[in-house]
Amino acid sequence: MKKLYILILSLMMFIALAVSGCGSTTDSKPAAGGTGTAPEIKAIQDRGTLKVGVKVDVPKFGFKDPKTGQIDGFEIDLTRALAKKILGDEKKFEAQGVTAKTRGPLLDNGEVDLVIATFTITEERKQSYNFSDPYFTDGVALMVKKDSGITDLKGLADKTIGVAQSATSKKAIQEAADKEGIKVKFLEFGTYPEIKTALDSGRINCFSVDGAILYGYLDDTTVILNDRFTPQEYGVASKKANAGLAKTVNDTINDMKKSGELDKLMQKWGLK
Amino acid sequence: MPGPFAGFKWLALVNDWSVFAEGFVQTILLSALGLTLALGLGIFFGLLGTSHVKLFKLLNRVYVEFIQNTPLVIQIFFLYHGLPHLGIMLPVFVVGVLGVGVYHGAYIAEVIRAGVESVPRGQLEAAYSQGFSYWGAMIHIVLPQAKRISYPPLTNQAVNLIKNTSVLAMVAGGELMYHADSWSSNNLYYGPSYVATGLLYLSLCFPLATFAKRMERKLEVSS
Repeated sequence: MKKLYILILSLMMFIALAVSGCGSTTDSKPAAGGTGTAPEIKAIQDRGTLKVGVKVDVPKFGFKDPKTGQIDGFEIDLTRALAKKILGDEKKFEAQGVTAKTRGPLLDNGEVDLVIATFTITEERKQSYNFSDPYFTDGVALMVKKDSGITDLKGLADKTIGVAQSATSKKAIQEAADKEGIKVKFLEFGTYPEIKTALDSGRINCFSVDGAILYGYLDDTTVILNDRFTPQEYGVASKKANAGLAKTVNDTINDMKKSGELDKLMQKWGLK
Repeated sequence: MPGPFAGFKWLALVNDWSVFAEGFVQTILLSALGLTLALGLGIFFGLLGTSHVKLFKLLNRVYVEFIQNTPLVIQIFFLYHGLPHLGIMLPVFVVGVLGVGVYHGAYIAEVIRAGVESVPRGQLEAAYSQGFSYWGAMIHIVLPQAKRISYPPLTNQAVNLIKNTSVLAMVAGGELMYHADSWSSNNLYYGPSYVATGLLYLSLCFPLATFAKRMERKLEVSS
């Protein structure tokens, strides 16, 4: 029996290694220099649609209207601009709803070409994915129940804060709390609605995520505090191997910044 | 080398092994307590199901059908998010033990009932004719025979219970799956994280499953 056990364990290890080996050989190499079209861009053009992972539960950024089924928002407009740049038609994109947890895996398995989903740029994440220059900067904010009487981070001493898995909020709040010299506890949940449910049921005392996202969950019983922590810079992410695509995306975003188009979009969505 | 299984991601996993160890210990504790509760509930309600008293039988059916025909996730969500609205705030560990314990208790009740009912009626009648009371006949004649039939499926329930504790990751349960989710989603090194977590569950469940198979052979339930 012991032998069988060892056999199965080693088999699993082997599979894991084999999968990782495949990953490295099938990744396409970035296109040389600025001449010609990068193979991954060529592939998108051949396919005819740009596949993008977007948020569908963040009003103003990426939100699916339950009545019409249409996804719209600042990041969707950004997607349109990129589709126009790559395919010459702003309608040629396919939006797929992602969560903080699914966006990485979807990029890795090629299900989406780009992720434009309030994805904060961090050094750690840069090791796994290409990020464009930031197209939006937001701060982490705190939402509490009105009747809790909490008005700032200090009021949350020894309280529990609900954050999303794969979000940078936990680190940001932890650092701020350390500075204030208070202790806070964290609970992590898979989706934003789950955090809101936990806040409603009193499991947690505070719902913390980027300010813009938090506004989508504001209601009569809750209030968003004025404090903002650690600026969160959002970037467009692509697979590490797709360097050509990353460059095109980055150029497009910088062009939009220079031409003032990006500012216009932010104004359109009331983000400035 | 990029990709979900890149070498530096494995290194990060090794460095942070204590995160996984903490979750692993929590999962073992949760499973042990959950199993104790499930066995207690299962034996109690299983025996109610074999009784001739209509009310007892009804109690068994209500419990078994209600629990077996609703998803464990819903039951956990009710305990975690629902009860606080009724003024009952259970710690998440208690939610876990109650959740998997009550859920698998229903399955174990069926295993016990099936085991007892598989013992030929004549055995009970023979016991009565020897002057045994109902409970005497149960304890000395019927249950020892039912035990043989029930052991292997009971072990299956234990294996399922261990795996099902992972549902608690959805309510920040602090067990192995939660730690794996939490760790991998902060740095997006999900590849090594889930492989390692799978292996840890395997290391708990495989010996149990093997034990079940060996027992089946020993008890000659299967050849």
